Amino acid sequence: MQIVTVNPRKCVACRHCESVCSFQRRGHYNHHDSAIRVNHYPEQAACIPLTCVHCAEAWCQEVCPAAAISRDAKTNAVLIDATRCIGCKMCMLACPFGAINFDSSAQSCFKCDLCNGDPQCVKVCFPGALNFEREEDAARANRARHDNRMAAQFGNRNHD
Amino acid sequence: MTEMLKKTAPVNTFCRMCDNHCAITVYRDGSGRISSIDAYPDHPWNHGRVCAKAGGAVDIVNHPDRLLRPLKRTGSSWQEIDLKQALDEIAERVSRLQDTFGPESMSVWKGEATSFNQQEDLAKRFCRALGTPNFLSVDSLCFCTREIGYSLVYGSWPKPDFSNAECMILWGANPPAAHPPMTRTIMEGRERGAKLIVIDPRLSTIARQADIHVQPKPGTDGALAWGLAHQLIANNWYNKDFVENYTVGFEKVAAYAGDFTPDAVEAQTGVPADTVRTIAALMHKASPRVSQYAGNGVEHYENGVNNVRAIASLDAICGAFDMKGGSINADGLGQQSLKLYDEIPLTQLRRADGEKFPVLHDFRQECNTMTALNAILTGDPYSLRGMIMTAGNPTMTNPNSEKVKEALSALDLFVVRDLFMTETAQLADYVLPAATFLERTELYTYAPIQTVSMSTRVQSIPGVQDEYQFWHDMAHRLDFGEHFPWADEADLNAWLLKGTDVDFHDLQNSAKGIQYKAIQRQKWRHRPLSTPSGKVEFASAYLAGLGYDEVARYKPPYYASNPKPEYPFSLITGARNHLGYHSSYRGVKRFQPEVSGPQMEMHPDDADGLGVVDGETVKVSSAIGSIDIPVKIVARQEIIRSVLQATHGWKEANINKLTHDDILDPIDGFPVQKGIAVKVERIR
Repeated sequence: MQIVTVNPRKCVACRHCESVCSFQRRGHYNHHDSAIRVNHYPEQAACIPLTCVHCAEAWCQEVCPAAAISRDAKTNAVLIDATRCIGCKMCMLACPFGAINFDSSAQSCFKCDLCNGDPQCVKVCFPGALNFEREEDAARANRARHDNRMAAQFGNRNHD
Repeated sequence: MTEMLKKTAPVNTFCRMCDNHCAITVYRDGSGRISSIDAYPDHPWNHGRVCAKAGGAVDIVNHPDRLLRPLKRTGSSWQEIDLKQALDEIAERVSRLQDTFGPESMSVWKGEATSFNQQEDLAKRFCRALGTPNFLSVDSLCFCTREIGYSLVYGSWPKPDFSNAECMILWGANPPAAHPPMTRTIMEGRERGAKLIVIDPRLSTIARQADIHVQPKPGTDGALAWGLAHQLIANNWYNKDFVENYTVGFEKVAAYAGDFTPDAVEAQTGVPADTVRTIAALMHKASPRVSQYAGNGVEHYENGVNNVRAIASLDAICGAFDMKGGSINADGLGQQSLKLYDEIPLTQLRRADGEKFPVLHDFRQECNTMTALNAILTGDPYSLRGMIMTAGNPTMTNPNSEKVKEALSALDLFVVRDLFMTETAQLADYVLPAATFLERTELYTYAPIQTVSMSTRVQSIPGVQDEYQFWHDMAHRLDFGEHFPWADEADLNAWLLKGTDVDFHDLQNSAKGIQYKAIQRQKWRHRPLSTPSGKVEFASAYLAGLGYDEVARYKPPYYASNPKPEYPFSLITGARNHLGYHSSYRGVKRFQPEVSGPQMEMHPDDADGLGVVDGETVKVSSAIGSIDIPVKIVARQEIIRSVLQATHGWKEANINKLTHDDILDPIDGFPVQKGIAVKVERIR
């Protein structure tokens, strides 16, 4: 399946993803309503984007007592049905990545739903830190990047 | 049925929430109302990405506060009037002013709220045809210093080729907020292993991924650039073949750079001497793949043009000019000119800025706005009495806002076209509704990829004129309709493309745009540059002839050269956020939860020293004025000590009440809007 992959080496915490996610979900720009969260640590010079990876074995889904969490047949996304959610936050505790959020006004949990297969956060990510891709392709890109570095280091001719 | 389908079908066009013009698809609901905006997947500029602002255009277009009818001031209130009546009355009053006080008593001011290039050329055309040399615009304080600084050296402003670079240097620029597509090219460069050096007193968004983040004191960029030049020259790290054969004035630069030893640079800028050495060594190692971009952050100083010239010269020293991974000296489309520079030169008339800034006029044929506003108030060199302004909001964007207000209020005739009743429009005699970018069609060229696109008119609102229609109707009323012969914008676009290799109908049918010319490098080998000498000019005989320094001499900013103990802080203004564009979009409700309103960034140690807590409203004052503004205490890495930052455009706390219209760059008249000497007081 395709998921939203994150690359902290390219993230600048510009917040376009948080803005557009909240816009998609709630019709306004407010990062508290965003399913993707980006943290900037000035001391460590680190920008960490974080969103749901739609685990093959989704602990949130297993732990949900209301059977509000299911897998979308088309996109394979792990979805929370807000109308069934009882707001017990068990899924939030179960998720090892902290990728589930709580909407205190609706008293229900929310998370990335992959925008029905067209994730908006990826579209606004000009730095390219977010991509909508298959895990295998992301791994291949990592390998290519590493290859390029090795080539630059061990190549006999460094400039074209 | 067909008509309805047409009205609701998605339309591919180009975003103009900022000047990057990303390709988008606009969707409409069953009633034909614009309902959402998405990235167009396949344009070579934005590659299927579009920033979060784009979706907000829906709110601009459908905003309940949008101006839809002409308004006429009657005493202290507004009266809705018919468009034809408004245009008739305005034309009549323009004629009367010009008959009584001469053609130059009128002026035209172009802002940036609806567009930039094509709208500017139309306004310039109207201004010339009207017979006045007083073309005013926001360019007098944004963009021109960089264009002029680079053009003095290269005859053009080359664009960075970050994707292919090995060393990337950003000076006072924050692409994730201001130029999102440029961010992609920077990250491509990094992916290839290029080093990223960001020069900014603030830890800007892009600085978070910098290999080296350099934090000079505001306005000292020129000293740093000279320090890098010194290292490159003294270590024999410069490109001798290029310098010998394709440049003039190198020996003068080499001699002047000698003063800028790493220690001298450290004393001036606060940047450690070793950092200067490190950056120069990285540039040397990467040469000629050294790619630079100078942003708005370097130009709001009294030495802006020379600071930009010094930065620009580094490309040539490294041999990076018009080289792969260096700069791209892009070819233009070669479209027809709208500006009437040759047809109506108007050389016999004096400008309202008293010809104080000949360089600004030579390069941009623009009258300096700061000086022209003085002319309204003082009558020196003569009284400027009338102004037609399109989509500008100088009471928020020009320095010394109180004076701007006073000057604009003193006009006999003040006409403003805009999307909203801005703080500036409130001072007008007539306010006319303007069309948004989704209600117009215009050409846009993407210089770095030498590609042209044409936007599509998605909708029209009866009574809301596009830019061309307005100037056309005014021109025909004022008896110079022959200069505005085109039926509409589409007809105009077709004329603009005549003589180019791009066919109007092909372009109309191409959502991807058309590359008008393949990119070639090293054009300097066989084609002279557009500088007076035809070569790269490290020293400018043209400037010397006008009485300016031949080399890009460094001068410290005024707050450093004339320190006043009562103003211990240096305030920079105008940092961009990701949901703004200049002073625009502060009124978009859906943006508001994320853009928290006016605030002034402060170093935690400075806050401690003042006893100020995060969120506390303080009084900040300069020699020009003072405002109350909430403080945002940032992390100690995010701004240097004794430096403050506040973004402009907030009427609740208008930072331009503090900026200087009285300290100007002597070369092009740019005002000091950064590096303002200020004091901060707690409000008890």
